[in-house]
Amino acid sequence: MAEFKAEVFQNEFLAEGATDVHAVVSVACTDAGTAGQSGHGEAAEIIIVDTSGSMDMPASKIVAARRAAKVALGEIVDGTWFGVISGHSVAQMVYPSHPGMAKMTDVTRREAVHMIDALRAGGATAIGAWISAATELFLQVQTAQCHAILLTDGKIEGEPPSALPQALRAAEGQFQCDCRGIGSDWVVDELREIANALLGTVDIIAKPDDLEADFESMIRTSMSRGVADARLRVWAPQGSEVLFVRQVAPSVEDLSAKAVQVGPLIREYPTGAWSDESRDYHVAVRVPVAPLGNERLAARVEVVVNDEVMAKSLVKATWSPDANLTTRLDPAVAHYTGQAQLADAIQKGLAAKAAGDDRTATVLLGEAAKIAHESGNDDTTRLLSKVVDVVDAEAGTVRLKANIERTDEMALDTRSTKTTRIRKES
Amino acid sequence: MTAAELACPACTAAIAVGDTFCEACGAPLSGAPSPDAQQPAAELHEVPVAGAPAVDITAPIPRTVKRSAVCAQCGGRILDDGFCGTCGQKARSPRDHWSEQPAPWVGGVCDRGIVHTANEDAMALAATADGSLAILVVCDGVTSAPHSDRAALAAALAACGQLTAVPMLGASSVAACVNYWTEALESAVDEANAAAVGVAHTMGDPPEPPSCTFVAAVVAGELITVAWCGDSRAYWLPDAGPPRQLTVDHSLGTALMASGTSRAEAEADPSFHTITRWLGNDSVDHEPEIASQSIDGPGWLLVCSDGLWNYASALDEMAARVSQLSATTGSDPLPLAAALVEWANAAGGHDNVTAALARCDPSLRLQRERTSGG
Repeated sequence: MAEFKAEVFQNEFLAEGATDVHAVVSVACTDAGTAGQSGHGEAAEIIIVDTSGSMDMPASKIVAARRAAKVALGEIVDGTWFGVISGHSVAQMVYPSHPGMAKMTDVTRREAVHMIDALRAGGATAIGAWISAATELFLQVQTAQCHAILLTDGKIEGEPPSALPQALRAAEGQFQCDCRGIGSDWVVDELREIANALLGTVDIIAKPDDLEADFESMIRTSMSRGVADARLRVWAPQGSEVLFVRQVAPSVEDLSAKAVQVGPLIREYPTGAWSDESRDYHVAVRVPVAPLGNERLAARVEVVVNDEVMAKSLVKATWSPDANLTTRLDPAVAHYTGQAQLADAIQKGLAAKAAGDDRTATVLLGEAAKIAHESGNDDTTRLLSKVVDVVDAEAGTVRLKANIERTDEMALDTRSTKTTRIRKES
Repeated sequence: MTAAELACPACTAAIAVGDTFCEACGAPLSGAPSPDAQQPAAELHEVPVAGAPAVDITAPIPRTVKRSAVCAQCGGRILDDGFCGTCGQKARSPRDHWSEQPAPWVGGVCDRGIVHTANEDAMALAATADGSLAILVVCDGVTSAPHSDRAALAAALAACGQLTAVPMLGASSVAACVNYWTEALESAVDEANAAAVGVAHTMGDPPEPPSCTFVAAVVAGELITVAWCGDSRAYWLPDAGPPRQLTVDHSLGTALMASGTSRAEAEADPSFHTITRWLGNDSVDHEPEIASQSIDGPGWLLVCSDGLWNYASALDEMAARVSQLSATTGSDPLPLAAALVEWANAAGGHDNVTAALARCDPSLRLQRERTSGG
């Protein structure tokens, strides 16, 4: 039986007249078990492989995709529903051959591997159609826990621009989707839109050879998620306003727009499936002012699985005239506020650069270099250094590099939301 | 399970059914009391009095106060986590604010104040209904030593309990009465100190042991006897005639003023509130200082912590404040105590605030005695 713990980090003291309460709620799950085997419904996996014409240019891409898809099948636990979709101008069933899903056994795995070997490239990229097809397959099996992997190498051009948003609206809440782009001709924003809507990750596979290991680890992670669906239930007092609820570790994902009002003062935020892992959430609430000396709750944050409260934490607000207390910044809140600014500065900086506004790009990427340096986010610092020359990290002074590998820029963009954890004091 | 078997989960001290916090350590207690086993609202002690019938001393302590299920702020429901389900307001803990009125003429309010997050003040009051005997004890936990709230409450309750067990003295000279109550108070301070030390022991004798100030006043007939350690105070404030501060703070502030520094200058000195005598495991000398005062007309006995007198440090200021507030609240001590606490909180509430009062009126008391004796 999975167990959850929730811990709050905050400075609960507010100065006279202050209204904004910030807290980091750290949620940890243990004993999650295995997907589809926790007694709350089965699991289902769909692998969507881009087979548009460009996957053959160079041919190493379609070769790598075939190999990676087969490795992924090997990681899917027996008894799991599964299907493989070939994506080009339309979504085509690879396995099973009819539009439906199969139960994973030694036999079905062998059959699916055989069909994947026969995959050939040709046609356009219509990701909206692929997502819609996956949604329909998942609806047929009606299982609790649905997950897909989507691989593409190009930008959408085989369907109208409205196709993807429309497909995502129907897919949201039905399944989670991890997205991977191979090469440098796909669009980061398109895959990010899908991953955000479907509670998944997005990453770049610069070298086709790396695809196999990545698919293997994605399916492994998915199979280790024995908790099908957990939600954050946030109570905030009457007259208050939830400013935002944002996942801040292991990556920055704003959940605010996903809020579902379930009671007059209660909202729920989907967090998807869980393995043995911990995630941090930054919760910000604007509360009505109370007199000095008052102690109140600014939020109750609960982790809910199958309508059962698994963990609960209290975010407090205490109004105090003591400036020593009220001016103190909680280290976790400060750290993750910085990490969110870091992601924002990188994305906006790269967008400015793409638009030809080098001056703005330099300022924003400089700010990013500074935050990454200060917060010890070494991975981001390394990615940044391939796009800019850091002149002075402490001051945030950088110069744009003259010749930048397109894939380096895309790697920086896709991984901008990855955060480092705060070094816990003890 | 009988009440005698109940123990505090935090410090294992005995607790009573219906207690909302442990009297020994202040830990909040949960668990609904069974309705048939609740404490009576007031506990009755039989105090034998020489040559007179037994007198009842009523000594309610906050154990009968229960956490309300309704939010005082908005009327919402208090959830299991101790906060309102509608506005989020924390349900007021009885340790943070409570009042006592053991008899109509004696009452007090003990309050957390505005700035501090815990109430380290404590009080314990006892009184006979006929106006012949009252015991008022106030202790102020030392903030710099953790868990001093426990020491303060334990000390106040121990001293009050000890004093209620002292038999009344028959007709005697004033000097004999002063001697009698001085001895009783000294022994009560020993008990209070032992209780504070006991709290330190239950916590494994920390390097900074919980400690507190102490002031106890006994009103016996027309005599007030006061014992104190530290800077909690007692005042005699007669309706007519000069007021008197019965205690002299054991503090560096007093020492400064004794050496010629003006009150304003002394109060501005950071060491003003540093106390030189206290109760607790690290107390060098807990021997109390004693003062007495005879009551020759109606007036107020005020026993308080520095959270109150900070806002009227000079005697005439405090006398004027009590006189001004009592003009509205009348001769009932409880509303006056509440008004004093409210005034201190309005002035900033920088410390815990405790105000305990006895309304002494010899003519009324003699009248009552005549009626009951007739």
